[in-house]
Amino acid sequence: MTDAITAAGLVKTFGPKRALDGFDLRVATGEVHGFLGPNGAGKSTTIRVLLGLLRADGGEVSLLGGGPWRDAVALHRRLAYVPGDVTLWPTLSGGESIDLLGRLRGGIDPARRADLVDRFELDTKVKGRAYSKGNRQKVALVAALAADVELLLMDEPTSGLDPLMEALFQEVVREAAADGRTVLLSSHILAEVEALAQRVTIIRAGKAVLSGSLEELRSLTRTTVTVGLRDADGAVRTLGTTTGVHDPRRDDGHVTFDVDTDALDAVLAALPAFGVSSLVAHPPTLEDLFLRQYGEELAEIKAAR
Amino acid sequence: MTTTVATARGGALAGTRGLVRLVLRADRWRIVIWAVAVAWLTVVSVRALDDLYASDTSRAARAELIASPAATALAGPGYGLDDYTIGAMTANELALWIMLPVGIMAVLAVTRHLRAPEEDGRLELVRSQPVGSAAPVVAGLVAAALAVLAVGTLTFVGLLATSLDPAGSALMCASVVVVALVLAGASAVASQLSAHARTASSLGMAAIGVAFLLRAVGDVRGPRSTSVWTWLSPFGWSQATAPYTEDRWWPLLVGVAATAVSVALAFALAGRRDLGTGLLAERPGREHGRIRGVVGLTWRRQRTAIWSWGAAVVLSGALVGVLAAQIADFVADQPSLEDLFPGGVGGATAAAFALYSVFLAVLAFAYVTTAVGAARHEETSGRAETLLALPVSRARWLGSQLALAGAAAVVMLLVAGLVMGLTAAASLDDPSQVRTLVGAAAVTIPGVLVVLGVAVLLLGVAPRAFAAVWAYVAYVGVMAMFGDLLPDGADAASPFTYLPALPAEPMTWTPVVGCTVVGLVLVLVGTQGFRRRDLQG
Repeated sequence: MTDAITAAGLVKTFGPKRALDGFDLRVATGEVHGFLGPNGAGKSTTIRVLLGLLRADGGEVSLLGGGPWRDAVALHRRLAYVPGDVTLWPTLSGGESIDLLGRLRGGIDPARRADLVDRFELDTKVKGRAYSKGNRQKVALVAALAADVELLLMDEPTSGLDPLMEALFQEVVREAAADGRTVLLSSHILAEVEALAQRVTIIRAGKAVLSGSLEELRSLTRTTVTVGLRDADGAVRTLGTTTGVHDPRRDDGHVTFDVDTDALDAVLAALPAFGVSSLVAHPPTLEDLFLRQYGEELAEIKAAR
Repeated sequence: MTTTVATARGGALAGTRGLVRLVLRADRWRIVIWAVAVAWLTVVSVRALDDLYASDTSRAARAELIASPAATALAGPGYGLDDYTIGAMTANELALWIMLPVGIMAVLAVTRHLRAPEEDGRLELVRSQPVGSAAPVVAGLVAAALAVLAVGTLTFVGLLATSLDPAGSALMCASVVVVALVLAGASAVASQLSAHARTASSLGMAAIGVAFLLRAVGDVRGPRSTSVWTWLSPFGWSQATAPYTEDRWWPLLVGVAATAVSVALAFALAGRRDLGTGLLAERPGREHGRIRGVVGLTWRRQRTAIWSWGAAVVLSGALVGVLAAQIADFVADQPSLEDLFPGGVGGATAAAFALYSVFLAVLAFAYVTTAVGAARHEETSGRAETLLALPVSRARWLGSQLALAGAAAVVMLLVAGLVMGLTAAASLDDPSQVRTLVGAAAVTIPGVLVVLGVAVLLLGVAPRAFAAVWAYVAYVGVMAMFGDLLPDGADAASPFTYLPALPAEPMTWTPVVGCTVVGLVLVLVGTQGFRRRDLQG
């Protein structure tokens, strides 16, 4: 499988601030790639570099086989972009903006446009300045999704959408992926990325700190297990000395602990000795991954004080 | 806590003090720059008048010249023409040109603080604090008033260093302050009418234009503020104070009263409407768009500005043409004046037409500057990002907007020249004026390119300093008006220093080609700079 996007050692500075500091990214053709990070980590800067709106100060970047700065116009025929904070022309209606963007791209599929407008319940007659944030977002989404392109770059595209519209957004992104389009989806909403993405990259302070498929990332981390036991005290004592088990704690008749993936076998084999009455286990959520990445940072900050 | 109690009691005015501080903090440098620039230019101009018109005879000749209708339209009501002291000259010729920029400053300051924060949503956050509905109105007005007062005070202090009578200077500066306050009040009302800062400031600018025209008509029809037209204009009230000659303060009461009424109206309107709305209703737009490209989009965005600026340029041209006969009659009646101009009456009208063509051109320059400024605003607002993420090159994006701006300015000038020519031909009964005056307007077109070039250069190379284009346009305007009063070489950067002043001077092609080349090179360098730099969101 070829790569739609590759970036290696990307550097972008704004004065003294290094917004991207040796950032690496690989997005395979046809995948939905989650791009996670808190505000200010460099997500938007990365996407602007990919769009050729900003010029990288260092590193290699390739987009659909071309250079985003050098081949901007040619590449833009093959991609669509949804910014996180959409500003529209105040005196143009939403419909006029969608059609303008479509024509500048070289045409718009009227049936697809009508279908998306209908599904997103967008009133296209409202002028740009009168739209709420969520509705401006819908205008950008309709314009981008109605386009016949290979790659969708989306920078926190659901900010301002209500939960129903968010569900719809997930549906249309899945449709786009089913059509074979590549999607780079930046977000700080973990559930959204978890629901859509096959692979994720987590960015922190301009560097990629974690990258891989969700499965791979999950295997890096721990499963949380809560068991109801007749001999809870004994279990806590034993688990406390088992390698791969972390932080066992007692709560009435229940014991909760985190366990490394490769220690699961041994732990599950040991548990029946303490009389299991109930068991709940859940795989690590992206939230856990995310918090773990940033939790370390928080711990460092706390230690530094 | 004492502040809690105080704000709780304040009602509609709660939180005003904090907002005023916020506004002044945002504006402090702007105010300083305005005050220093206006005061400095005023003092330099007065000193230059002092040097240039040292003798009684030269001042008497100046008085005769300035009493012509065409000069009166751009000067004042003509107090003290029989004993034309430097003070009388300052009040009659200079005061209006201080009032005009300070008035524009006041209008823009009010819309910037009254409407813009409401439109972009900042005010919503502010109003969710214990801040009353009238507080932002008060804050915007107080900030504008303080800015105007700072300009007036510094100008007064500067004038103490000239030969002028301090009492007269105080009155003149007070007159400037009052007219600016009236315009600020009008702008506050405009800010309640429209939900959009742009529309509000356009309404304010239109008010300034109408006020200027009313006093021009009035002063031409009746000298020394005797026409009703003069008294319909805030400029007329402030010029009726006749500093350094009659020295009367009472006309300022009219201005103060008008300010009070418009401010009260703005408060009443502000208290009745919902946050974020205007009294002018919003119409729904089209469901489907017809705009095809960047030019179409720019036309859609700019057409109101193009029509308004075009109307201002063309109407000014028509006014000059209509007054042409009066200029000619006036010179013919004054044998002493005929000797001043090489071509007699014809020479005098030609000189006036040349000056007015430059005046029209400066208006077109201001339009071009707003048009390139609109492109810059597209960039800072993030809309450029949306378009440039499409298969639209930067050269196309910028070039389309520049082409439209340049073409609109050229059309404005040619139409204004044509209208000036037609009206002058009618009033002078001389059909050849049509060709002459279209030529006079056309020869300023390379100047449009130079201003466009300066604007694009800043946009491409130093976008954060874009506002400096306005300083350049103001410089060109000041040099055209007062360049001969200033030291040699001060006007070296103005295209009018080189372009032939048609029809008063013979046509020469070298400067026309030179200015065109300079303008085109600046545009190209600026465009290259824009293509190479990061887009700034």
